[in-house]
Amino acid sequence: MTGFRLPRLNRRQVPLLVVGAAVVFALAYVLLIAQKPPATGGGNWRTTTFGSAVDDPGSFLRIFLDSITFAGALFIVASGFALIFGLMRVVNMAHGAFYLLGGYIAYEIQQAMTGQGFAIPTSQVNTWEWVVPLLVAAPCIAFVGFVTQQGLLRWNQGQELRQALITIAISVIVADQIIAHFPRATSTVAQKFGGNAVSLSWPGWTDRFVNLHVAGVHYSLARLVMLGLGIAVGLALWLWLYRTKTGMVIRAGVDDQKMTSALGINIQRTFAIAFVLGSALAAFGAVVWASQANIAAGQDGQWLLNSLVVVIVGGMGSIFGAAAGAILYAFVLNFSATYLPTAGADCCTQYSIVVTFALIALVLAFRPQGLFGRPG
Amino acid sequence: MRRSGLRSWHAAALAAVGIAVGVALIGGISTSSAASQAKTVRVAIMTDCKGAFGFGYEPDIGGAEAALARYAHGKAKNKKKPSAGMTGITAGGANIKIVGYGCGNDTVPLAVTETKRLMEQAKADVMIGPLSGDEAVSVANYAKSHPKKTFIIGTAGSQDPTLQIAPKNVFRYHGDGAQWNAGTGEIAYRKLHWRKAAIIMDDYSFGWTSAAGLIADYCAMGGKITKRVFPPLNTTDYAPYIRQLPPPNSVDGYFWVVGGTGTGASLKAYEQAYGKTNPKKFVGNLFFAFLGNFSEVAPRLVGAYVGGFGTSPGLKTKAARAYEGNVAKIFPGLNGGNYADGFVYNYYNAAWALVQGLNKSHGALGAKLQSSLPRTLRPGYQVSGHGVLHLDKNRQAIQDQWPLQIVRKGGKPALTVVGFVPNVTQSFGGLFKKSSPPPGRTQPPCRKLKTPWQGKIRVVKNGVVTKGVIK
Amino acid sequence: MRWNVLRSSPKTTIERAIGAIALVLAALGPLVFNQYWAHQILIETFLFGIAAASLIFLSAYGGMVSLAQTALFGIAGVILGNLATRGGPGGTSKGLHLGWDPTVALVVAIAMTTAIGLMFGAIAARSIGIYFLMITLTYSVITTYFLGQVTLVSGFSGIGGINRYTPSWIGDLTGHPNRLYYVSLVAAVFTYVLIRYVVRTPFGITLQGVRDEPVRMSSLGYNVPLHRTLAFGFAAFLASLSGVLYVWWSGQIAPGNVDLPETISLLVIAVIGGLARIEGAWLGAFAFIIIQNYVRGFTFPFLGFGGTLFGGSFNTVIGIIFLLIVLISPDGLMGIWDRALAARSRVGRAGPSAEAPARTGG
Repeated sequence: MTGFRLPRLNRRQVPLLVVGAAVVFALAYVLLIAQKPPATGGGNWRTTTFGSAVDDPGSFLRIFLDSITFAGALFIVASGFALIFGLMRVVNMAHGAFYLLGGYIAYEIQQAMTGQGFAIPTSQVNTWEWVVPLLVAAPCIAFVGFVTQQGLLRWNQGQELRQALITIAISVIVADQIIAHFPRATSTVAQKFGGNAVSLSWPGWTDRFVNLHVAGVHYSLARLVMLGLGIAVGLALWLWLYRTKTGMVIRAGVDDQKMTSALGINIQRTFAIAFVLGSALAAFGAVVWASQANIAAGQDGQWLLNSLVVVIVGGMGSIFGAAAGAILYAFVLNFSATYLPTAGADCCTQYSIVVTFALIALVLAFRPQGLFGRPG
Repeated sequence: MRRSGLRSWHAAALAAVGIAVGVALIGGISTSSAASQAKTVRVAIMTDCKGAFGFGYEPDIGGAEAALARYAHGKAKNKKKPSAGMTGITAGGANIKIVGYGCGNDTVPLAVTETKRLMEQAKADVMIGPLSGDEAVSVANYAKSHPKKTFIIGTAGSQDPTLQIAPKNVFRYHGDGAQWNAGTGEIAYRKLHWRKAAIIMDDYSFGWTSAAGLIADYCAMGGKITKRVFPPLNTTDYAPYIRQLPPPNSVDGYFWVVGGTGTGASLKAYEQAYGKTNPKKFVGNLFFAFLGNFSEVAPRLVGAYVGGFGTSPGLKTKAARAYEGNVAKIFPGLNGGNYADGFVYNYYNAAWALVQGLNKSHGALGAKLQSSLPRTLRPGYQVSGHGVLHLDKNRQAIQDQWPLQIVRKGGKPALTVVGFVPNVTQSFGGLFKKSSPPPGRTQPPCRKLKTPWQGKIRVVKNGVVTKGVIK
Repeated sequence: MRWNVLRSSPKTTIERAIGAIALVLAALGPLVFNQYWAHQILIETFLFGIAAASLIFLSAYGGMVSLAQTALFGIAGVILGNLATRGGPGGTSKGLHLGWDPTVALVVAIAMTTAIGLMFGAIAARSIGIYFLMITLTYSVITTYFLGQVTLVSGFSGIGGINRYTPSWIGDLTGHPNRLYYVSLVAAVFTYVLIRYVVRTPFGITLQGVRDEPVRMSSLGYNVPLHRTLAFGFAAFLASLSGVLYVWWSGQIAPGNVDLPETISLLVIAVIGGLARIEGAWLGAFAFIIIQNYVRGFTFPFLGFGGTLFGGSFNTVIGIIFLLIVLISPDGLMGIWDRALAARSRVGRAGPSAEAPARTGG
């Protein structure tokens, strides 16, 4: 094994070195090299909006927090996708459509509790008026997931591509039905239905800034809450998967389905649980992000893509992978949008999304199974 | 037993597919022999039914059909659902048949496919549409190679269709994205006393064109733009782009041109970066008031000024009331009863112009119709020139514009018209020309100039144009 | 009674007969079909069939399900658009519009796309199965965002008016759409024949060995990643043909042509046709386009709720049709065909052994 593998390993070290050097350069650029734009305009390759982290630690910290809090929301949505994929090898292409449906259901509930068809000022929303929509939307989507899994996917077990295509068809149907029936609670001057943008509101107590006592940074509590929810979901999943019997069965199922079934464990029941939970997490994520931003027809594709990216980068089917993928994706996206050079006004921060995906391709080129995935 | 059942099932499935294909084939062959009936004008209405503007489907179709009902004897099949169809439409001695509704998704490829389907499969002679800027560019390109067909743009904001490409068979009876914002930059300069401002705009042609209208006007007065930020379309988290905006204490205000589904998301991201939104520091384009975003924007920005959509909500003139009454009679409650939405109004005017053209050409099509389509129109929200709107030599409307403000009425946010900008041209007084670079991230540059309406924007109070000028 | 003929004849004879009829029909196309069918539905079928064939080739003979074919299709179109179009008044305001000779632009577009395909392939060659699917999906997303953001070459609006710049040996395609019809038909037949030829060459046979037994082939001294890379490059070449035909047909190319829904659409075409056989590409494209075009007018009196079906638009109906096809046949329409024939011949031979094992992609 060692005899003929050694030279191959060496050949792989070169690109690894390149990647390492690129990472070191990116860190050095953000931390030290970048400069603030001169007052007269213009600039060069070192010119960024904020200058380096050493120059402007406050901005650096804010963007750091923006990234990690965004990762929290990404993780909530993507962990559901990862759970379903990890156990059942189902690439649930309807995850985005489930997300959208969950968000709209939660919107209708919150509007029914407090609204007039307008976005509700956060100060007028109490904790219950946020939690109840969540508690209605999540089970609704869990039920949709249950029907999908039992009715359509269960008897196609093991046919990965076919299952993916079934979920594609479902996503087309669900997305179209959403446009036909949502939003229902609209203001008098707005078109009813059609899937236009509406938003949930966070509870009122989140609507303030927290003094972090570091570099004079005051940071949005709502975003910190979002991070907290992400961590809570992660912890709960970890406890469930690694500390309960059901979780152990699921992990055993991930490793070897046939063996697990042979041991007399009802793997079908476990599959159903995983799918229901994964779908509910899509709705949970939708409630969180619709409070943070909004919900609108067309975002199903966006969130399917977000989930795919997080799970691809992190390693498919692993909760740690989803966390790592969410963090990497959020950091690269946000930092490249703020720390790419701004020389010449027409460059380059708008290329952040291209840079982000180029980096993802690079990760995959060297670790096809993702950061935390197991090969094969 | 079970096995053989499965087999015959498969054979049945195969047979079904075969029959389906066969039927389709026969359909394809037989319709080829169907001769086109004399004196039937085939009209297609192209709009979106998916994507960010999917909710425009019924308002757009409703606007066009309301005009066909009012001026060409059409009868709606369902007063609550314009897309259910319309019968009995006649104009210029010809029957008008609506042969199809286009279903785009705000992207170019689907607009092309749908246009081909409507014009070639459904054999439309005239298209009313499309809805959005990029779609209109592709339709104009299509029109260029199909000179016998006639295209009346529904409500699209790009410059190219009538400035760069400008085929003789493309007509637009409303302003482009820049025109819709005429006067708004000047209001920011005069009423809000902005001298240094930042702008955030969607990174695609409509965002640039719309922003160009704000920049041109504001810089014409001598205002400075200190930063331009371009979030890509379909951005999930706007936080990093908001961070690039200068903080509120270092600029007088922000021009906000983020649309689609991003309007509310970007404003929320602003609140989480810099705290409550101060309406005196925000000026938006039509995304603040129309296109499904009002319910998200309005509660945050009561008092903010907004560019328009070529319409004048609450204008108290005979023509405006007549227009609104016409729509309300045919499709009561269309678009939530908000008939002063460009989706309804611009499609209405397009269809109305078509009826006038057909009346004049006696139902003739092609070049005859194109020369007969009116070069003037008396739409609801035109005041200057005694209410007559003119087309320029590229068949592009020179149209009154109406800057708006978000106000509170009866405890709820509402829109009101604050200004009247007479006869806005596409060129903005020579800034936009065939030879000039199209609007882009850095185009137009911030430059002092004299727009035709500078210093002539009249104050509008309670829907009445006053003699006073905005100072 | 009629099926007795089937029983006594080998399957290939029937298929050849059907193929010959299809080819004759296609060759007579503009004479037989009405204008919309010839110039829209069939041209679209031919060109999307080529793209789908490149996907099926990789899947059936290389064991790689690629989601990058749509991206490569778009790349070829964008390169052609940038090289061939001219700017200025009346022209397109987007892109580089270098105004090259269209023939040169055509060759460069195909060559560059093939080169980009080889590069993509080289990076992805060590991934297999679902991981290969994912990395090619990433290519597709990069391409979408690259075209959307890099306004120098495209921007979100893309490039329009490309069909006005066609090589002189093809001539004006908008004025003479029959020419485009035959160009597309020839390209489709060429693609089919080329794939059938390539899989019979030593390279093609090795590729199939690599598909089935990568480890064994590697220890036999075959360079597995190289074969995968070359196969990917070949598929990129085919996709580029499709992309070029598309921009001549539609006149424009934009990021919307290569985004996630479009990427998925091509996969759906390939799967409807059947991932195991090249013929399925055109069958799938045809079915897909027919469904897209002809389900608009349907109304459902009892389930309508004022709309098409449950209040939705025709997209709901399209979704349901796709769902049914996927549920009824794992191998798409070609799979239904194969099994129907196998079932019939089994009745004749009174033995179940004739049924070929069902292949599933993945």
